[in-house]
Amino acid sequence: MGLRFYFLRQALLNMKRNVTVHILSLGTIVASLLILGAFLLLFGNLSNWLRQWGTALSMSVYLKDGTSAYKRDKIDSFIRGLPGAQIRRFISKEDAMNELKAALREEAGFLERLTHNPLPASYEVVFEASRTEEIDPEKIKQQLEALDGVEEVQHNRQWLKRLEGVLDVVSLIGYIIGGLLCLCVVFIVTNTIKLTIYSRRDEIEILKLVGATDWFIKLPFLLEGMMQGILGGGLAILALFLGYLAFSAKKIYLIGPAPLEFVFLPVGYVAIVFFLSTVLGIIGSFIAIGRFFDV
Amino acid sequence: MIQLFHVSKNFGPSIALNTIDIKIAKGEFVFVTGPSGAGKTTLLRLIFGAEKPATGHILINAINLNRISRSKLDLLRRKIGFVFQDFKLLPKKTVFENVAIALEVTGFRPKVVKKKTHQTLRLVGLAEKEKAYPLSLSGGEQQRVAIARAIVKDPLILLADEPTGNLDPDLTREIMTLFKNIHQRGTTVVIATHSRQLLEGTDCRTIVLNQGNISGDTR
Ligand SMILES: Nc1ncnc2c1ncn2[C@@H]1O[C@H](COP(=O)(O)OP(=O)(O)O)[C@@H](O)[C@H]1O
Ligand SMILES: [Mg+2]
Repeated sequence: MGLRFYFLRQALLNMKRNVTVHILSLGTIVASLLILGAFLLLFGNLSNWLRQWGTALSMSVYLKDGTSAYKRDKIDSFIRGLPGAQIRRFISKEDAMNELKAALREEAGFLERLTHNPLPASYEVVFEASRTEEIDPEKIKQQLEALDGVEEVQHNRQWLKRLEGVLDVVSLIGYIIGGLLCLCVVFIVTNTIKLTIYSRRDEIEILKLVGATDWFIKLPFLLEGMMQGILGGGLAILALFLGYLAFSAKKIYLIGPAPLEFVFLPVGYVAIVFFLSTVLGIIGSFIAIGRFFDV
Repeated sequence: MIQLFHVSKNFGPSIALNTIDIKIAKGEFVFVTGPSGAGKTTLLRLIFGAEKPATGHILINAINLNRISRSKLDLLRRKIGFVFQDFKLLPKKTVFENVAIALEVTGFRPKVVKKKTHQTLRLVGLAEKEKAYPLSLSGGEQQRVAIARAIVKDPLILLADEPTGNLDPDLTREIMTLFKNIHQRGTTVVIATHSRQLLEGTDCRTIVLNQGNISGDTR
């Protein structure tokens, strides 16, 4: 029992004696982890938004000009036959033009000079959320475009595919940067602990001479590195949370009419960041204590 | 207790000890003497396991130091007290802490550490100086702190390197009395010294080293 406190006391004493070094390195660790955490936060929210947006499947089916009512009926019934499909509305050429005018407001003047309406009529189709998994939008697109009178079909998953590609690249870059930052943390801890070992080298020599085992001498340094990791992780998460609070106070209207919800890292991620920094602290100090001089 | 068989030690080209054989029994009180550079310190350091012999074997309490693992050596050292010529006290720790460290590393409970440290400091006459720092002490007092640290764990063997190095005759006598007391308790004591004065009139066993060779043993 007494021994456990001895190690903890030694570790704290080390930190107190080299307080400047520890504060400097702690600052760097926190900064590194903060970058990592901020990246996780942004990435997590981005993929969240994308998922929310992606689960809803909607299609616009554009019709050729002058499609007869008969052909339209056929298209109409084909769409109704699709699993989970629902025609939200039919937008005639005139409707489309009116909507465009409404959207453009004052700048709509040039539309008056058009001799004919260039906008196509279209169906807006939505699919039941529960059935979107079993639907292959590309196949439906092909089937619809094969119908007489259909000009083109667009669905929101086309965009999703591209965005997911971008997200993959972003996450790859994230992994690389994250890896480098982790190395950076290990490097800082290693050097900090090396410094405290150096500052105590006389004491270590004497400890060995009076019969201390290697682990007896090493353990306080290992604890010291671990505490750096714990402190660094804790402070970084705290700073990230404060930053999040300040940032999320402003609602973000990026895409669409509904404000996107900006959420903090899930508890699991917070735990991972914390655990990671603790482990990095241990690894860093483990490297530092690896080479002990023989007495 | 201490056995050396054909032990040699060299530092590069210079030979510190030249195939020597020594046997020291349990409870003996032995002086190792000889001129400066004869190999006295090297001999003590070999017995302590702080140096490895170039040839030969060293047995401490029937344990061969050549075959011992690092961690076993740490344990063995808890049974050997060493009074270093330069004391090796920690200037930033108090007298009490300097002595207690030898017990702390062996995992004694804090209560026991306190009690034994107080006892030992009283024995060497430093009870009043527990809270002082080594650098504020005189040479003789520092010497006694070093001795206290060496004997606080009740070692089987006590090794002392020039323990009266630069002390005046009165202090020298005091320190020698201390060693005799420790010897009375059953500890095997080996003292390295180049001082003839210390050996005058002693009836203790004396091993004389000369340029790494044993040139005399009064046993
Ligand atoms: N660490 C060392 N490196 C090189 N030479 C050493 C070392 N220790 C001792 N020696 C040499 O070994 C010889 C014996 O030294 P030492 O054992 O210190 O003698 P003593 O203690 O009797 O004065 C000397 O010639 C000394 O220079
Ligand atoms: Mg010497």
